[in-house]
Amino acid sequence: MQFVSFAFLLLLPVAALINFIIPRKLRYIWLLVISIAFYLSIDLKAAAVMAGTVVVTYGAALLMEKLMGDAKDDKPKSSLVVLGLSVVILIAAMLIFRSGKIMGAIGISFYMLKSVGYLVDVYRGDLKAEHNFCKLALFVSFFTQVISGPIERAGNMLPQFSYPVTVDFDRMRDGFLQILWGYFLKLVIADRLAIFVNSVYDAPTQVEGTVVAIATVFYSFEIYCDFAGYSAIAIGVSRILGIDVMKNFDSPYMSKSIAEFWRRWHISLSTWLRDYVYIPLGGNRKGTVRKYVNVLIVFAVSGIWHGSALTFLVWGILHAVYQIIGFITMPVRDKAVDLLKIDRGSLSHRTVRTLVTFLLVNLAWIFFRATSLKQAVEVIKKSFEFTPWVFTDGKLFKMGLSQASFNVGIAGIALLIIMDVLAFNGVEIRDRIIKQAIWYRWIIMIAAILAISILGIWGAGYNASSFIYQQF
Amino acid sequence: MKIRFVNILKVLAFVCVASLCVYGASVVLRDKDSEYKYADFFDWADQIDVLFVGSSHVINAMNPAVLYGEYGITSYNMGGHGSIMQSTYWELIEALQYCEPKCVVVDTYMLQKDYKYLDEMDDSYSDEDRASSIAQLHLNMDCWPLDKLKIAAVNDLIKDEEIRKQFLVPFYVYHHRWDVLKSNDYKTLMGDGERSSLFGAEMRYGIELTPGIYPAPEDSNGLGGDTIGEEYLRKIIDECQRRGIDVIVTFLTCSASTEDKRAVDSAKIICDAYDVPLVNMQEMGVVDLYTDLNDTGHMNANGSIKATKCIGEAIAELGRCQDHRGDPAYEYWQEKTGEFYHDIYDMAVSSDSVYQQLNYLAGAESVSSIIYINDGSQAFGDNEMQRLIHNFTGTPQIYHTDGPYILINDVAKGKVYEASGTDSLDGIDIGLGTIHYQPVEHLFRLFYTDEDPETNLLYDDTKTDYDIQIITYDAESGEILSHNYFKSYGSNYTKG
Repeated sequence: MQFVSFAFLLLLPVAALINFIIPRKLRYIWLLVISIAFYLSIDLKAAAVMAGTVVVTYGAALLMEKLMGDAKDDKPKSSLVVLGLSVVILIAAMLIFRSGKIMGAIGISFYMLKSVGYLVDVYRGDLKAEHNFCKLALFVSFFTQVISGPIERAGNMLPQFSYPVTVDFDRMRDGFLQILWGYFLKLVIADRLAIFVNSVYDAPTQVEGTVVAIATVFYSFEIYCDFAGYSAIAIGVSRILGIDVMKNFDSPYMSKSIAEFWRRWHISLSTWLRDYVYIPLGGNRKGTVRKYVNVLIVFAVSGIWHGSALTFLVWGILHAVYQIIGFITMPVRDKAVDLLKIDRGSLSHRTVRTLVTFLLVNLAWIFFRATSLKQAVEVIKKSFEFTPWVFTDGKLFKMGLSQASFNVGIAGIALLIIMDVLAFNGVEIRDRIIKQAIWYRWIIMIAAILAISILGIWGAGYNASSFIYQQF
Repeated sequence: MKIRFVNILKVLAFVCVASLCVYGASVVLRDKDSEYKYADFFDWADQIDVLFVGSSHVINAMNPAVLYGEYGITSYNMGGHGSIMQSTYWELIEALQYCEPKCVVVDTYMLQKDYKYLDEMDDSYSDEDRASSIAQLHLNMDCWPLDKLKIAAVNDLIKDEEIRKQFLVPFYVYHHRWDVLKSNDYKTLMGDGERSSLFGAEMRYGIELTPGIYPAPEDSNGLGGDTIGEEYLRKIIDECQRRGIDVIVTFLTCSASTEDKRAVDSAKIICDAYDVPLVNMQEMGVVDLYTDLNDTGHMNANGSIKATKCIGEAIAELGRCQDHRGDPAYEYWQEKTGEFYHDIYDMAVSSDSVYQQLNYLAGAESVSSIIYINDGSQAFGDNEMQRLIHNFTGTPQIYHTDGPYILINDVAKGKVYEASGTDSLDGIDIGLGTIHYQPVEHLFRLFYTDEDPETNLLYDDTKTDYDIQIITYDAESGEILSHNYFKSYGSNYTKG
């Protein structure tokens, strides 16, 4: 069962209704039942890996707690050994199983990080070990996050399982709107752009240069809409079930620097890497060179986490290099801005920075999307071949999308940008919609349902592609 | 509590309104082919006496308008493009939920097909064939509402569960049609969509110039009796006999391969076993292979008229179907029949294709014609043209002349006159009057009536380079209906 399936759309109201009816203190059991059923429906064999992860995480946390006793500062080395061993087991399992060749491993990269984060929190004393096995199992396997995150923190989730909030009508409406937006991003934009992108990336050298450049820009939006769409559905579904999940995207393409981009893109992973890799490595507290090395390490880890192909490593390192160059050139850039008397707050300056940041991110996505470094280089070279006639000779519409469908994709991107600009400036559209009169809300919601069901890429002739991040 | 109740009502109301909107969208977006074909079936199901079932051969050959026009028997054409026997079987079973025909005419084309599932076929088929097979099934499946029978039919015809979905919930496949919507798609929402005017039949108006001829099989043992096609033909006959419905099995004229002919032998064996008649038009010579086919497989409208009359005779002989002509309750059938014959009339009076016009003039019952071909015309070297002319006369004259050549087909008097070379026609009494024809020189000839001797009907200064002329006149009144000019380029003709 996937988020994009009739089965899920049927399950959700049933799950929400029962969750609404049963006593609050039993809700976590119901959520665990759904989570187990959801995961089993995707991959039976992978459930064994998941179960092993839960057992190791649960046992290791309890053992650490027992070994540490009441000690806060002077923790026994044995607890560190337990932490080290358990983390090594979990990371090794992730690396071994995530190819899916030995046993299924759907979502393993996500729930392993959740488990590691939990163990480290327990070791640090930031969190008490969870004694209720079901709650811990639910934390690791919570069905809205299990496939592609967000990579939640136990500190946020476990209390919510123990003390779930009351699901009121406003919360349901808010969650429903978020789900609609998620499906719109995924089915109308991401899967539509994917047709174009896949068609070009299957044979980039056979396609006109400008078409390749457009495909890369489309990929930037495809991966954003795909992942943000998943996250929106996950957050919306969780809200309807009475669970608040952390935000995973915050208008990332509005960023004015690469560092800001990583504060807005896949926030749950970025913050996880910050808290459990970057800071333990010393962060920026041990000198400039060490800071640059740490940045390199963190982004290399991020690249490896995304996949074992070299392209992912290059993608990660490229982002690190961007940031290091940014740090190094900052004084020069500041000086230039002062000398030229550029108003840092002006729209033009902010726009240029946003565009430059987008182009850098866009360039890096080529490595993320390409099947090999060779292909990535070919795509980059090809993108610089300027062939503007593709806008008028119809070649643009021979990449799997008709002109009408292509236009829908462009309109979808335009809508996404508008929404992101508004969100970036603090305008929360969902809140605005919810405050409107009922007829107005209904028109918007029904229009969204129709847009998704009519313009969405699903059904016969199309296999609604899996969420891109599901493979990681 | 009150707030909670109101909220529940709001949710229910929203679900209803949203569902209604999605349903409306699904009506607009769904493909209209099936609706177009079967709209009249659902509206007039209680008046249908005969069902024609089978493949696209049936769609093009069995014309309910002709059957009604000739015999007053009501019928519906349920044929489906690419419909193999199991599809035909389920089509019939679905139809029998809505009507109680007295006779079912089932065609056996593709009886030799020996695969169970349309999406699987066998190794000899390409993926494109499979896709086409699935797409064609929609014509025969989309119109039926979702019920247990439809689920059983889809499960029996389609193996892949994912593909089954598109038949059970058509929105699954048709929501992509948003960029090809036309006015008719929206009209359907108001119940005002276009519908077949031929009770499910489709007429084609081309002529197959080179139908293939294939040898007969070496024996008459048929296919062996074990193909899936044969199994479903038996099921069809069983089902009809169980319900007390007469069955007529046919094989309609086409450019039949040896394998097709072997299938006919099998059909004969099955028909003998069940004691049902087999009308094998291939052997009856009812339909002319060289003028009555649109392509190697399908009849054109002319062939369809002949084939339907032939089947009509067989149905009438069974004696269970009433002649409804003149019954006010069946006015709709009369109206649609009139429309069809009017189309044929138009085709005979004026067509852009000389082949087409000659073909329909040969079968016309209310239009007489004069055909003139100048000497030296390349039409005299065109076998197809000669064959079409020969259809009027039955004489070999057209094959032995270089022109000029004239043919007069006077329908009212039932007479055909022809002359070639320097021969003339003098004082012949036809619907136009008493005519005189005299060839004079290459670009000039005389053709006039005693009633209007000043008008030379076959000469026009401005059209001297057109080597073929066709004049049509009303068989009863003698009023000239059309005068068409054609120019020959090899076997290509352009209308002037």
